[in-house]
Amino acid sequence: MVARTAHSVPHRAADPLAGLYPAIEPYHLGRLGVDARHDLYFEESGNPAGKPVVFLHGGPGGGTDPKHRRFFDPRHYRIILFDQRGCGQSEPFASLEDNTTWHLVDDIERLREHLGIDRWQVFGGSWGSTLGVAYAEAYPERVTELVLRGIFMFTEREAQWFYGRGTRMLFPDAWDAFVSVIPEAERGDLISAYYDRLTSDNPRTRAEAARAWSMWETRVASLVADEASLSHCDDLDFTLAFARIECHYFVNKGFLAHEQQLLEDTVKIQHIPTTIVHGRYDVICPLENAWDLHRKLPRSELIIVPDGGHSAFEPGVASALREATDRFR
Amino acid sequence: MLSRRALYPEIEPYRTGMLQVSGLHNLYYEESGNPHGKPVVFLHGGPGSGTDPRQRCFFDPEAYRIVLFDQRGCGRSTPNAELRENTTWDLVADIERLRAHLLIERWQVFGGSWGSTLALAYAQTHPRRVTELVLRGIFLLRRSELLWFYQDGASALFPDAWERFLAPIPAAERSDLMRAYHRRLTSDDEAVQREAARAWSVWEAATSFLLQREDHIAHAATDDFSLAFSRIEAHYFVHRGFLEREQQLLENVGRLRQIPGVIVQGRYDVVCPLHSAWQLHRAWPEADLQIIPDAGHSAFEPGILEALVAATDRFADR
Repeated sequence: MVARTAHSVPHRAADPLAGLYPAIEPYHLGRLGVDARHDLYFEESGNPAGKPVVFLHGGPGGGTDPKHRRFFDPRHYRIILFDQRGCGQSEPFASLEDNTTWHLVDDIERLREHLGIDRWQVFGGSWGSTLGVAYAEAYPERVTELVLRGIFMFTEREAQWFYGRGTRMLFPDAWDAFVSVIPEAERGDLISAYYDRLTSDNPRTRAEAARAWSMWETRVASLVADEASLSHCDDLDFTLAFARIECHYFVNKGFLAHEQQLLEDTVKIQHIPTTIVHGRYDVICPLENAWDLHRKLPRSELIIVPDGGHSAFEPGVASALREATDRFR
Repeated sequence: MLSRRALYPEIEPYRTGMLQVSGLHNLYYEESGNPHGKPVVFLHGGPGSGTDPRQRCFFDPEAYRIVLFDQRGCGRSTPNAELRENTTWDLVADIERLRAHLLIERWQVFGGSWGSTLALAYAQTHPRRVTELVLRGIFLLRRSELLWFYQDGASALFPDAWERFLAPIPAAERSDLMRAYHRRLTSDDEAVQREAARAWSVWEAATSFLLQREDHIAHAATDDFSLAFSRIEAHYFVHRGFLEREQQLLENVGRLRQIPGVIVQGRYDVVCPLHSAWQLHRAWPEADLQIIPDAGHSAFEPGILEALVAATDRFADR
């Protein structure tokens, strides 16, 4: 087992993206119909003849962002981003039908085949780490390496930490705002109460719940709260897909056969070179999650970033991720 | 904008003494700063950690008569690590004895972590003796707070340090770690006591700063520090702080609401999570709650010490 602590730099550069590669544009944009209903946006950037890597975004429902291209050396990597069902530029927007973990796993395979790629690196944080592990366990022969951040294996204990007993202890102010949308009588099962509102016929009810759900996660995502990212929560195009899809997955417990499924099935991916990057102060997905996965994958490398939270875009976490993809290029 | 404050320069006490508070216990105390200044008493944490000369530096030595003392059984107080006649209410009475001994009418009370617990207990018992309260890293000594730190809570963020905390305790005893530790810390076998004391003390040291400090962890691991610290802490915690009721310190806030107060709390305090400060703040809205976004538990975190010094400066000429 290798667990190490990334360099501690208390006063980091002002630009958190300074440690990443420059912004680039895609050389190919496309859409892929994955079934009669869902149509996915995807894009390729970097080097068309380079080593392929697929980026799995978080949420579920978070969608991709051009910044996500910047974790990879564009001279060495053929960088593939896509928006998962119902979010980003994929259609239909915010749709929950035929939207499960296993649909997404199969979408990744369809996209790989569509692009004529034999094997690829899989990179994902938060829900992206869940989906990355689920995909690797389903199709281990297709994965060259795993680069995972902010580990979430969708166990009961992890869900309870964020929507119950854990995060609220450090962020009681944000928690008060989160629960304020739900009448006290319904707070015993917050996720169901939110689900009812997020799937309500009343657009105002949906919008209010979507904003509060998204604010809760955004306010606790970075070590030091980033006011600019909170403005994201005023964008209904973002929050509605994010909150509805995320809540839908939580209500259905990630569509796993049993809550330990992803951890137990790690026996299938022992051989895949894996780097895990985790912020010490990730209060959404606590370090314990990464610690447990690392124990199940004894050959993996765990890098603990002492001044990192959950976000991929804090300087320490961003640099550790870029260094990981550099080592595998 | 106010300039950022640092600690005041290190100073020596102008007077030190020992005060006999019971047939068994003798307490070390000291005075520094201005003998004619505004009196303030510093209540250290743990219980059992004792005072440190750097704690004098939270106060302007020209404005304050600074009183530090070591609570029963720790620091330079004797007998060391003694658990008999050692309860919250003994300590509250000691503070009154010391105040009377020093001929002080009323004083400011400054305390963090367990020091905040003791300050609240003292101020609720003797509210007229307190001019202001400056509190940090709020700890209300409730079962939920103890379980967060010693059973399941902080462990999720520090699984690496937690493994070392679990190591001395066999799996069969891990369902109640506080009791398992208490048994070892009160064992007749000194080697057993020492091993448990080191692990108990290192767990807290490893989780007290936003960015772990090796020097702090190394100090916490020494027998000199860890034995009194962990024995006294575990003794208080298995006895639930000798409180009559779980929510006692919160329920009795009404007795001190008229006292000017400042609460300084690190957002990433994983020893005493913000939840408790938040509840205290709601019960006592007159107090000024300051959440430091980039700090953990320790009083010596840069953002926290700035806020603490600003608070004592603000009260200096009242």
